[in-house]
Amino acid sequence: MVCYSRVVNQYLALSIGLPGHGFHLAHDPLALLFLAILAPQIIATGLGPDRKSVAYWFFIAGMVLTVLAAEAFTLLLGFELMSAASWLLVLRGDRKPATLYAGIAMFSGACLLPALFIPPGGIAFSLILLGAGAKAGLAPLHAWLPRAHPAPSAGVSALMSGGMVKVALYILIRYGFIVLGAAAQPWWGTALIIAGSASVLIGSLRAMLEVELKTILACSTVEHVGLIAVGLGIALRAKALDDPSLAALALQGALLCAIAHGLFKPLLFLGAGAVKHATGTSSLDWLGGLIRGMPKLGGLMLAGCFGMAALPLGPGFAPEFLLLHAVINAAGTGEIIARIGFTALLAILGLSAALALGAAVRIIGIGFLGRPRSLRAAAAEEAEQPVLFGMGLLGILCIPVALFPGLILLLLNPVINQLIPGAAQTPLGYAPAPLATLLLLAAGATYAALKRYGTKAEREVHAFNGGFGKPPAWLPFGDPVTQATGTGFAEPIQRVLGVAILGVKTIDPGELYVLDPLRRLNVQFTRAAERVRRATIRQRLAFVFAALVLFLAALGFVQGA
Amino acid sequence: MLRALLAVIATIIHSVLVFGLAPLLMGIVSKARARLLGRTGPPYLQPYRDLAKLLRKTALIPDTATQFYKIWPFITLSATAVAALLVPSFSFGLITAPLSDFITLIGLFALARGATMLAGLETGFGFGGAGAARDTLFSLFTEAAVLVLVLTFVLLAHTPTVDGIGIQFRDGHIGLSVSLGFAFAAMLCVALTETGRIPVDNPAGHLELGMVHEAMLLEYSGRYLALFYYAAALRLMIWMSLISAIFLPFGLADSSAMLTWPGGLVSWGVKLIIGAFALAAFEVATAKMRVFRVPEFLGVALLLGILSSVFLFVATKLGGT
Repeated sequence: MVCYSRVVNQYLALSIGLPGHGFHLAHDPLALLFLAILAPQIIATGLGPDRKSVAYWFFIAGMVLTVLAAEAFTLLLGFELMSAASWLLVLRGDRKPATLYAGIAMFSGACLLPALFIPPGGIAFSLILLGAGAKAGLAPLHAWLPRAHPAPSAGVSALMSGGMVKVALYILIRYGFIVLGAAAQPWWGTALIIAGSASVLIGSLRAMLEVELKTILACSTVEHVGLIAVGLGIALRAKALDDPSLAALALQGALLCAIAHGLFKPLLFLGAGAVKHATGTSSLDWLGGLIRGMPKLGGLMLAGCFGMAALPLGPGFAPEFLLLHAVINAAGTGEIIARIGFTALLAILGLSAALALGAAVRIIGIGFLGRPRSLRAAAAEEAEQPVLFGMGLLGILCIPVALFPGLILLLLNPVINQLIPGAAQTPLGYAPAPLATLLLLAAGATYAALKRYGTKAEREVHAFNGGFGKPPAWLPFGDPVTQATGTGFAEPIQRVLGVAILGVKTIDPGELYVLDPLRRLNVQFTRAAERVRRATIRQRLAFVFAALVLFLAALGFVQGA
Repeated sequence: MLRALLAVIATIIHSVLVFGLAPLLMGIVSKARARLLGRTGPPYLQPYRDLAKLLRKTALIPDTATQFYKIWPFITLSATAVAALLVPSFSFGLITAPLSDFITLIGLFALARGATMLAGLETGFGFGGAGAARDTLFSLFTEAAVLVLVLTFVLLAHTPTVDGIGIQFRDGHIGLSVSLGFAFAAMLCVALTETGRIPVDNPAGHLELGMVHEAMLLEYSGRYLALFYYAAALRLMIWMSLISAIFLPFGLADSSAMLTWPGGLVSWGVKLIIGAFALAAFEVATAKMRVFRVPEFLGVALLLGILSSVFLFVATKLGGT
């Protein structure tokens, strides 16, 4: 008999699937929200060459099935389909991270499988947190993400970073707030906040220090997953402590962050793929000056980085604003230890916001501005039409999120009411539309003043460069080593902060303390198994005999008792 | 209706004064600094003359610049100008008051900083890149410290807008407390860093290797450089007004009570002049730090910020509220 826990009340039963069981699909506001997050990415990546691959469509089907699942069995089936298809796609890109990725996917599945079928409580939530958290890239199980996400083609990377981690977070929300909601404890939220803040710190720091464009983006995904987890954690904790208005505020931030991240991160991944296609590399140390050859792509990347840096008037600022206010509110009441913890969290969020700005400036400033660092970067040509079209679609969808977050929050109301019944919505204290008007006004006034009072004279000259002379004619872009590289730009931060958190060799703590011990354990197990395999016939007979004796002794002991 | 009209008039006076007097404030600081060093110093109006001179000069565009070269100064100046409209000067209750959330303000500073960093990386020469990298390093600590300070302010004033915090601190009998003392010290460290003054950066320095903010502007000239200079002057004005509105709000006017405006104007002007002389005296008395000493200096600011919140938590715990 297959036992399952009902997730949603009204559902649609399809008669395909297991005999006598079938799929059960249902939609509610939460599922619709995540479908809406997935849809633009699917369209944008579907325009690229990935649509010819069967695994790609299975990957999408898995994600959609997970989100629409009405009961645990369908949910798990969709989740595993998503994992398996994405493993195939990663394998096609790069063998090495594919094994690691498969291991993590199995770990997620192994945690989720029992969690979905045991009674609600702390153990079930811990297993969900481990399973969904590992898939979403929450610290300490995040070290695989910056390796596996950059491996496949650009479209799949985009979908993994923008969509798959959201599906994992969807499971976390679905179970944390709804299915296990009645049994919720404050420590569930605290655990989520701690994991999230560690992800934010490590993700943003590594995004600043990495050199490969796609790895930078993947590290930034770890940061954004951390931000969403912090918001969800505060909401879960506040809900358990019976503070619905704070819970609603934090949830607004988390969900808006998921929406915004689902738009600008696929955009950036598609752009990174186009850069690799045009120049043969995505290492910042070999790029530079790309905006001359690829102005459209450069403009779109600038828009995406604007969102990634969480600057005001960009799509990333409203979620950051809401999350910061949620943390400030959470620090306002409660026990003194928790309040000090939230103060530290605020410092971490400030640090990582500045790091995110630095990482975004580094992508644009080193990769797209300045002088080319290689001939291929100098000869880069504009990206292909479908890629630009997909990126443009995501970019246009960023505009309402950036300028009218209040409207998006209105649309989120049913979801928030579903997750936190009786929550009072507070109006958003950040109004980008008037700010944008003021900014345009200021820029227009500056332009008019320059036109009225300034001269229009302009002359193109060799750059001043601290008084160094003009380079020789055989170096058309000047000496490449006289400009800051990606590594050089990050050096001060590596020196001050990187050494303290990642060590001298910049090894991720998730790698050092989680993956490496697992690897060593794996080697030891393999050796033990090898020893058994190589045993002589006498040793094997001895094993069997010893086992028999032990079994009989145990039997006798049980019967004697 | 009348309130809104008065708020509009106050906002217009505010913008005229802030945008008009920002270079003068810079002039006062340079003059005071020179006098303290025993020199005559440039006239008070020198910054205006510098700006006028730059506007008349031919802009030299580097051949390695991209199409965005001319856009960055506009973004930096516009974002700073919007921030200047949000921070109250002589009077509270400006028409922009509901927008003046402290976190929005931090975001606008970050936007201006990001555009300046991109301007530094624009032409692809070493000094600009080094300046941008150092600016990123400093910003890590200033953003963390400011956010923790915002927590202290919100806990005391129960509102996140700069305007509301100032009004609460003026009328709310907050009184002197250890918490606010720590917050004040931390805020001063952050303000010195954000405005690029000694001991973090030297706006009058001429050695490229030691520059931070100036290094990013090395490849700019003519009217585009004028925009960056003006934005720097505006930033000094904003930070001084911000510190005056939050920590020294006594005497500042309310936009709805027109009779308080002259008092507010005088009070604001006196505070700016005192602030300019204090800054000059501090700069003369201190030496510029090595770049890698600055994170320690800002780490202290962050620590003071956290301590100011912790003291508040302890106080509420002991007070039993």
